[in-house]
Amino acid sequence: MERVAAARQDVRPHVPGEIGIWAFVAGDLIVFSVFFVLVAIGNRDEAEVFTRSRASLDLGIGVANTVLLLSGSWFVARGVARCREAHDPRFSRYFSLAILCGLGFVANKGFEWGTKIAAGITPQTNDFYMYFFVFTGIHLVHVLIGIGVLLLVRHTSRRPVLDRRDVRTLETGATFWHLVDFLWIFLFALLYLL
Amino acid sequence: MNGRDDDPLFRKSLTFCGWSGIAAVVLFIIGGCFLGGMLPPLLRANDSPAEVVRKLSENLTAIRFGSIFLMCSFALFGPFGAGIAAQTRRAETTPVFSYVQLVFTSCGTVIALLVAFCWALMVFRTPEYHPTLVQFLPDAAYFFALFSVPCFGGWCVMIALPILLAEEGREPFPRWVAYVNLWAAALYGPGQMILFFKDGPFSWHGVVALWIPYLAYFGWIAIMSLVMLRIAKPGTARYPQPVPA
Repeated sequence: MERVAAARQDVRPHVPGEIGIWAFVAGDLIVFSVFFVLVAIGNRDEAEVFTRSRASLDLGIGVANTVLLLSGSWFVARGVARCREAHDPRFSRYFSLAILCGLGFVANKGFEWGTKIAAGITPQTNDFYMYFFVFTGIHLVHVLIGIGVLLLVRHTSRRPVLDRRDVRTLETGATFWHLVDFLWIFLFALLYLL
Repeated sequence: MNGRDDDPLFRKSLTFCGWSGIAAVVLFIIGGCFLGGMLPPLLRANDSPAEVVRKLSENLTAIRFGSIFLMCSFALFGPFGAGIAAQTRRAETTPVFSYVQLVFTSCGTVIALLVAFCWALMVFRTPEYHPTLVQFLPDAAYFFALFSVPCFGGWCVMIALPILLAEEGREPFPRWVAYVNLWAAALYGPGQMILFFKDGPFSWHGVVALWIPYLAYFGWIAIMSLVMLRIAKPGTARYPQPVPA
């Protein structure tokens, strides 16, 4: 407990987690920006197909998924803050709630894909749906890995006392989950709203 | 420093492995980029068999020499991977991760050599083979290179884990190297989409399925090689202390 208190009193500039996870975040953002450029080019070259296909997406499902991920991020941020302020193993429930949000996202995405495939819409339908399935699929893999990371974070947060390494684990895991959320906001805007 | 921590032969062998990685990248740039037409891709997944034969026939000699460079480049994956495993081995009391790394290194090297074999065979009897048979060879080469995600991704994860799980101060590489490896593993992922697309960014000539994994892979080799070379320099060594009994 003293060690956590000491970490809190440390007023030096603090990189949440560690520098490596930020390199990972920067790297992932570079790759996703390639994806975003591809969608933008498609949008320019096949404006009519993209507009028609975009209109056929269920905006409600997209909004629900956005709300789920934003709530998950809020729970994670809250959980890390509480653990850093005055740690109590009971704060792991914040991470459980975030995991539930993540599972809700996966279920919702499965439902959305299921209805599209049942309606005969596949990645082969047109370029818009190719991007839709592939990019939301790659993002879904991020969500699944993120849920695994949150399980590790929850496990760590249940320790009676957190040392510096444990706090680093919590912050690194939280950073990855925020990345998952952040990428979705952009995908949501590009695929559902543009 | 005790004898194990200051091991001049290990410094030299690690330097050799680091330079093997650098040489692999340089030889690939010569063989794959300038001569062989592998990256940027001379062929496209949706080319007709006749078109494949035509493009290859116009570049037979360059691709033949390119294949030789490719073979030399890919063979160097062996010492490159062994150097990384030797360094992680120093931090592991029971070197399971390092052994798994060596398995992946061997698999990766063999798969990469098959890429070079296909590339060479593709320009061996180009006019005599049936065009669809010629077309099969670049298909096979890119499938070996790109569809083998779990092998190359697993290799990177097996490098990341002993770094992330090491005790504080006993990491065989700086911790950021672990994240670079996880990032590289993630970037190979899109390679598996080549099975589903013959045109566009997810086909074997596309931006997402070809360029991203290839740039990630050779960028990863360059970064890991430079890190090995830095560790091998006297005074900057990262030689874990033996675990106290």
